[in-house]
Amino acid sequence: MLQHLKAVWMFRYFWMSLVRMDLRTRYRRSVLGIFWSLLQPIAMSGIMCVVFSRLFEMTKEVPGYPAPWAAYAAFLLPGMAVWEFIRNSAGIGCNALIHNEAYIRQCPLPYGIYPLRTVMGTAIHFMLSMLVIVTLVCLLRQSFEPLTMLWAVLPMFVLLFLFCWAVATLTAFATVYFHDTTHLVEVGGQLFFFMTPIIYESEKLGNAAWLAEINPVVVYLNVIRDPLWKCELPPMEQYFAAFGLTAVAVGLACGTIGWLQKRVIFQL
Amino acid sequence: MAKIELNDVSLTFNIRQHRRVTLKEYLLKGLFLQARNPVIAVHALSHIDLSAQDGDRVGIIGHNGAGKSTLLKLLAGVYPPTSGQATIEGRICSLFDITLGFESEASGWDNIRFRSYLLGETPKSIKRKIHEIAEFSELGEFLDVPVRYYSTGMLVRLAFSISTAVEPEVLLIDEILSAGDLSFQLKARERMKSMMTSARLMALVTHETSTVELLCNKCIWLQHGAVMMQGRPEDVVAAYTQNAVANHPVAEVEPPSVADTVPMHDPARAAA
Repeated sequence: MLQHLKAVWMFRYFWMSLVRMDLRTRYRRSVLGIFWSLLQPIAMSGIMCVVFSRLFEMTKEVPGYPAPWAAYAAFLLPGMAVWEFIRNSAGIGCNALIHNEAYIRQCPLPYGIYPLRTVMGTAIHFMLSMLVIVTLVCLLRQSFEPLTMLWAVLPMFVLLFLFCWAVATLTAFATVYFHDTTHLVEVGGQLFFFMTPIIYESEKLGNAAWLAEINPVVVYLNVIRDPLWKCELPPMEQYFAAFGLTAVAVGLACGTIGWLQKRVIFQL
Repeated sequence: MAKIELNDVSLTFNIRQHRRVTLKEYLLKGLFLQARNPVIAVHALSHIDLSAQDGDRVGIIGHNGAGKSTLLKLLAGVYPPTSGQATIEGRICSLFDITLGFESEASGWDNIRFRSYLLGETPKSIKRKIHEIAEFSELGEFLDVPVRYYSTGMLVRLAFSISTAVEPEVLLIDEILSAGDLSFQLKARERMKSMMTSARLMALVTHETSTVELLCNKCIWLQHGAVMMQGRPEDVVAAYTQNAVANHPVAEVEPPSVADTVPMHDPARAAA
């Protein structure tokens, strides 16, 4: 395991230059460039704000916010960014090994590098979105209070990054063996989105509250969204849950790499 | 210290007729239907023994499909052996299918950097070598152009320049040199010769038996995944050629007689 990490660090210039090239290629032809990555979740959230705030009757007053719709927007934006990060890591990560087949066939590098390339790309988009979102939340709240909560949120970004890397690794290996994993992840993502309290608060689930309890994404939503939106820390169990969940996910990913690394080349 | 040590190494591929299995098919196979995607076992390499140290240049020859490229890939660490022991020590640089490992949207300069990082270089060490690499490849202004516009020969030049500049301890080359033009081939031979004198290990797959005799000090002849003969290049190449000719006798053709040939410009006639 340690050897694997050492090897990943040894090849850091390689995968970092690939990530840079990925970003450049992706926004080569667009005028707005990397700002597209910021526009999409924010535009989506804006529309959802208008539509869902009426549907879900977000009319109750929330302390700290001038209007209910402002509270809803501040609730929705960080949640959407976290969800997009996880979903994109899983979705694009599916093809991590298949797209990098050329490198796998020439130079046997540690397999963790290929999902890492994907997740670094999605992480950069996530960080940029969060930059804008934290600013927006401060504006909506008309105070700098969310900034004081950043010390609790930033370490959680690291955990989220590790979780996304683990998810990307698992989907990448799964896609090599079952090539319809991409479709499963896509459809599953849609279902998961509505089952997860992103656009509504978890209280609204009522009888189906168990859905929020078994959903791993909810843990990350709580530790990242709550400090920014409510400006108060979630209960301590959530932090333990976040650490535990990340450890389990990373453990599964490393186990998969260790189990399949000698076999996957025969399936590519 | 570079070293290759293969002890009774075998490699078997289990290939399915239909490449990618869907989850549905996998479940059905388990529950109801027998597999309609039968497995074919391909014994790519059988019981190979090979040993090479610093300064050895191993030539690998054989018919198409003998397992030469597979052997190189095993040496590179791409395929783990199904049985036997394979020990390869030293920094490996492999030159296989030349289009592999190029990022087609990036320019020549960027690709020099990618490939170098892939081979374990750092930005500092590359700064010193990058102009030398560019000069050796003789691509000039084309280095600014995205690599997808390069011809095969240009790609070969670029890949070869990069791979030899990073001073690998083990160099594995798979039949790519034939894509370069004549001047490049001569240049490449020169460079490989100089690399050999710096006591490095090289394994080369080629169909040109003359290259083997010129560059290598050991030769291995593979046939259907097994070693037919191993030893000095002259002996192995002679046996290989004899075998090839014996299996496919060249048809008897009457050599043209001198009288049949009519010279284009007959100075005698022109003067007359």
